[in-house]
Amino acid sequence: MIAQATLSLLLCCVLVYAWAEYRRSPAVALLSFVVSLVGLYFVWVPSHSTRVAEFIGVGRGADLILYLWVCISLIVLLNLHLKLRAQHELITALARTIALANVSSGGAKGVQWRSNEAPRIVSNEDRAETAGR
Amino acid sequence: MQNDGLPSVWVICAAFNEAATIARVVADLRRGGYDVVVVDDGSTDGTRHVAATVATAVITHPVNLGQGAALKTGIDYALSQGAEILVTFDADGQHRAEEIPRFLRALGHQRADFALGSRRLGQSRDMPFARRVFLVAATLFTVATTGLRLTDTHNGLRAFTRRGAVALSLRQNRMAHASEILADIANSGLHYIEVPVTVDYTAYSLAKGQRTGDFLMIVLDLFAKKLHR
Repeated sequence: MIAQATLSLLLCCVLVYAWAEYRRSPAVALLSFVVSLVGLYFVWVPSHSTRVAEFIGVGRGADLILYLWVCISLIVLLNLHLKLRAQHELITALARTIALANVSSGGAKGVQWRSNEAPRIVSNEDRAETAGR
Repeated sequence: MQNDGLPSVWVICAAFNEAATIARVVADLRRGGYDVVVVDDGSTDGTRHVAATVATAVITHPVNLGQGAALKTGIDYALSQGAEILVTFDADGQHRAEEIPRFLRALGHQRADFALGSRRLGQSRDMPFARRVFLVAATLFTVATTGLRLTDTHNGLRAFTRRGAVALSLRQNRMAHASEILADIANSGLHYIEVPVTVDYTAYSLAKGQRTGDFLMIVLDLFAKKLHR
């Protein structure tokens, strides 16, 4: 009973997570939603899970639940990876904006190249200078 | 260069640690009369200083973002400068500037918005076997996923009209951008054409180019893109 309650609680957490994630990536959310619902069902009707487990060939139903849990973890991991990716897109946009704000005209057009330095993000000294004014 | 009556052509060179070749590559392009924007993708070897002596404009990414991101930056800049034709050109010296007019003619005469270089239609010098296998696999993958009829999908020499360039999203920062460009071309429904090119494989360009193992990353990148909007 304690194990069942604990597992149910964990799976419910995943359900909440899936619900919260739905707007950002529906595919990941739906997948974890379905997997955790199946997990919940098996936790409370273990005999069915044992039957399914035997059918699949993994031995006991408890093993099946464990494997399901591993699957859910992997899905969460994948989603984290995708979030990182989204963050990287943000960094790209930021870096591009900085780069495009600091275009150097080459010598080819007869325009003197202004600076020998890479475009810089406003440094602390610059900021202090501006604040002092 | 603003030749009267001729369209304004901008060549975009994405460069990451290409100080050894960039000056010669850009000088060749300038001699052809093109405006050249070099996007220095966070190089540490002074690429931007070398490029600044010859290029029309040099843009420096504060950090390394990848070739796809660098091309996107260059395209955005060229569009802001009123470019009517945009050409992407590898900075490692494997392409030939004198082949660009062929692309411009293809865009003009065939009323296409995208002209894509093809090594299979042209020649490749000293292409190693592993590279050949990689390119065939990449081509099969791209043809299967986009439905475009192409003979070479990972060629750095391409030309777009302004309308074509605007249709490209270029969200893939790293090498998957080559496949992404093709997916965008397929989605845009605009006309595309292949142009034969000669690629000179040197020890230098091979060391700088994609590794065959990158193909896996390209597939992963595109898969991730399909999952996550």
